[in-house]
Amino acid sequence: MKHLLAPLVGDASPVTVIGLCKNAGKTTAMRRLMAELGEERLGLTSVGRDGEGTDLVTGTEKPDLYVKRGDLFATAKGMLSLCDATLEVVDLTDVMTPLGPVAVFRTLSDGYVQLAGPSAAGQLPPLTKRFQELGAQRVLIDGAAGRKSLAGAGVEGVALLCTGASLDRDMELVVAETVHTCWLFARKRPENPALCAALDGQDARFALFTPEGEPVELPLDETGGPKWAKLPRKPLVVWAGGGIMDPLLKTLARRGAPTTLVAADATHVLAGRSALEQFLRCGGEMRVRKELTIAAVAANPWSAYGWHFEPDKFIAALREVIDLPVVNVKED
Amino acid sequence: MELTHELRENAGFQWVLERLSPMSPFGKQAARNPRWYGPGDEAALEEELDNVALAMELWAAGGTRPQPVDSCGCEAPRVNPAELKDSAAALRGVTRCLPLFHDIRGSFDRDPGAPFDLVELFELKHFLVTLEQVVQAYAKMPPMSGIAFPSLADALELMDPEGRRLPTFSVVNSYHNDLAPLRAEKAKLEKAIRMTQEDKRGPLLEKRRVLAVEEDKIELEVRQMLTRKLMVWKDAFLANMEALGHLDLIVAKAKLALRYHCVRPALSTDKTISLKGVSHPQVAEEQAERGEQFTALELELGPGCTVITGANMGGKTVSLRSTVLSLLLCQCGFFVFAQSARLPLFDRVELILADSGPGAGGLSSFGKEVHLLDQLLRKTRDEFFFVALDEFARGTNPQEGAALARALVRYLGTLDCVALMTTHYDGVSDVAGAHYQVAGLVREIDGDEGDDPRKRIARRMDYRLLPAPPGAPCPRDALRVCRLLKLDDALMELFQADL
Repeated sequence: MKHLLAPLVGDASPVTVIGLCKNAGKTTAMRRLMAELGEERLGLTSVGRDGEGTDLVTGTEKPDLYVKRGDLFATAKGMLSLCDATLEVVDLTDVMTPLGPVAVFRTLSDGYVQLAGPSAAGQLPPLTKRFQELGAQRVLIDGAAGRKSLAGAGVEGVALLCTGASLDRDMELVVAETVHTCWLFARKRPENPALCAALDGQDARFALFTPEGEPVELPLDETGGPKWAKLPRKPLVVWAGGGIMDPLLKTLARRGAPTTLVAADATHVLAGRSALEQFLRCGGEMRVRKELTIAAVAANPWSAYGWHFEPDKFIAALREVIDLPVVNVKED
Repeated sequence: MELTHELRENAGFQWVLERLSPMSPFGKQAARNPRWYGPGDEAALEEELDNVALAMELWAAGGTRPQPVDSCGCEAPRVNPAELKDSAAALRGVTRCLPLFHDIRGSFDRDPGAPFDLVELFELKHFLVTLEQVVQAYAKMPPMSGIAFPSLADALELMDPEGRRLPTFSVVNSYHNDLAPLRAEKAKLEKAIRMTQEDKRGPLLEKRRVLAVEEDKIELEVRQMLTRKLMVWKDAFLANMEALGHLDLIVAKAKLALRYHCVRPALSTDKTISLKGVSHPQVAEEQAERGEQFTALELELGPGCTVITGANMGGKTVSLRSTVLSLLLCQCGFFVFAQSARLPLFDRVELILADSGPGAGGLSSFGKEVHLLDQLLRKTRDEFFFVALDEFARGTNPQEGAALARALVRYLGTLDCVALMTTHYDGVSDVAGAHYQVAGLVREIDGDEGDDPRKRIARRMDYRLLPAPPGAPCPRDALRVCRLLKLDDALMELFQADL
């Protein structure tokens, strides 16, 4: 098999496979990467589980991944009946899911496994660490699908972004959405070291700073929410600890002074393209506290809903505007 | 006796329980409902206190900076000094294991026909391996009374046939004769699948599926066999968890006693309470936050009712709560927050506070007091009990209220009880067994008018309880307290003119 993804992710661990939408080809990319990584001992888990519950109950669903002997994986206890590899239980995490607690298994034979890991982002780093302690050479995470559900998935290592025709019938729109996500992931930390230090200790929902990192008092209304209209008319850095939506960007765009908006990481920016463009047009700048890396974009020209794009045209359109490796995992 | 939520909260017992730090799920459970030692349980209580004293000594000696245990009124060190270091290390060995346990009691609550799943079997093995470490460490320290670990060696042998004591579990080949050949065949097939191109794997994968189903069936048989055998030892498993919980709670009690310099209570046989240097840790902590210091109290209470009088904000209620807390702690096998304590064991300990509001069941504060008192008197017909009453009958007209309080003090004098009542009514202490008075607002201080009124009162107040003659009149301090609290001037003028 041609090594397509493995050279792109290099030595990075964990590798999180994320999708712009469902059926963007996450599983295909994951399988391909596993195959290319050959004899590396892997630690596998997923962010929660996609909602195919009905199939699960009737037991008609086929497990996704065929893993090799010696790999480690973490899944909810309720998934055991869908795993047919010979298993050794090596640890029980304190992560609870609707499908039972998440346990860590080692495969004593090749076989199928079904992943249903932690759904809260904060539970992934300890699990990644546990995999490494147990001897995993690389951790692969089946991440979320859909940009909204990426929120908080701020991952270590690198991400593999899957995009495809399932997002929309309109190819231009799919390309634009993909570009938008890549642009967000390319955001950097602020350059001023004092500002970075001030942001690193920040755990409030919102906070204000000068571009040099001096704290500025945030005017609050009687309910404790920020009064954006009362911000001093000078260059300011706005820290937003949670998700960033359209209204915040539109309000800050109208402020009439340069604003640098700092998000926890790229996955916290949930606003749409038009609001973000308006913010940037008005002199706004977008920064992140934690930089994330997309190693490559995996594109799937086939949708699950009957339509498809011309593969070459789709890949070419993406390559033209994205400054990252773009691959077609199905055909290359 | 049932320790009600209200009693726990009002006495500050809940506050103490929340400061315990048991490390295992079994210890946490034990700490939620500590055993109550009533009359007749003296020997068992002494054993428990011995356990706590031993754990204190070992814990203090095992820290990074070994420290001598404060002289706590109990006997000389029980551990041979030559062995102290090893015993202390053994206790640390036990406590290191405690946080590793998971609560697996739920797994035993099943029909023996329903097999344990792989994760449950892993947890059982993990429990057995960790238990073995605890038992080995525990064997190296002086034994505690009432703590025994029934042997589960056979169960461990069953779960770890290769004796490797690894904290992992799988259905190993030795559990079933057919497993090894089947798995070997399956492995050969899986190797073949790996060597085959992806699009030509279909038939091989189908063959593998059949073998995997067969393997699953055998594994189920094995799990059923293991479940049947393990369920036979259910009682031993549960007894071990109970012992772990008890041991964990003893260590938690010991750490608490060390942290707060608590003292071992002595049990009195003459139905009298003697507390020296007693404090209330919750109140003391609140005071410390305000930069004040708790005034430790001395109390001697004999059978019948003792009355406390004194200025408002003079700490009368705190003295009730401190006394009740000491009794509850002692009767639950804890050391107490005092310099010394001699306490009898009561069938029942009650604290009746004159508060009403939500949860009072539609009763006024007076109604609630009377209701609680009535319930207590009915329940304690043939019991030896303690009751603390805070300004009993203050919620009704002063003439009747005082008469009722006097009557109650007389009546309690005829019962098999020790009682403590605070009051502002004159004439109540005349009929009491003994009378204490808060030393009161004795200090004259000027020039702190700008300070927090609470601080100004605290500065002037001598919170000590002093023995007073029966019938000594209640102090008239309401006016001064109001003034210190900066009550409206016009109102104060009217108040003063009316006195």
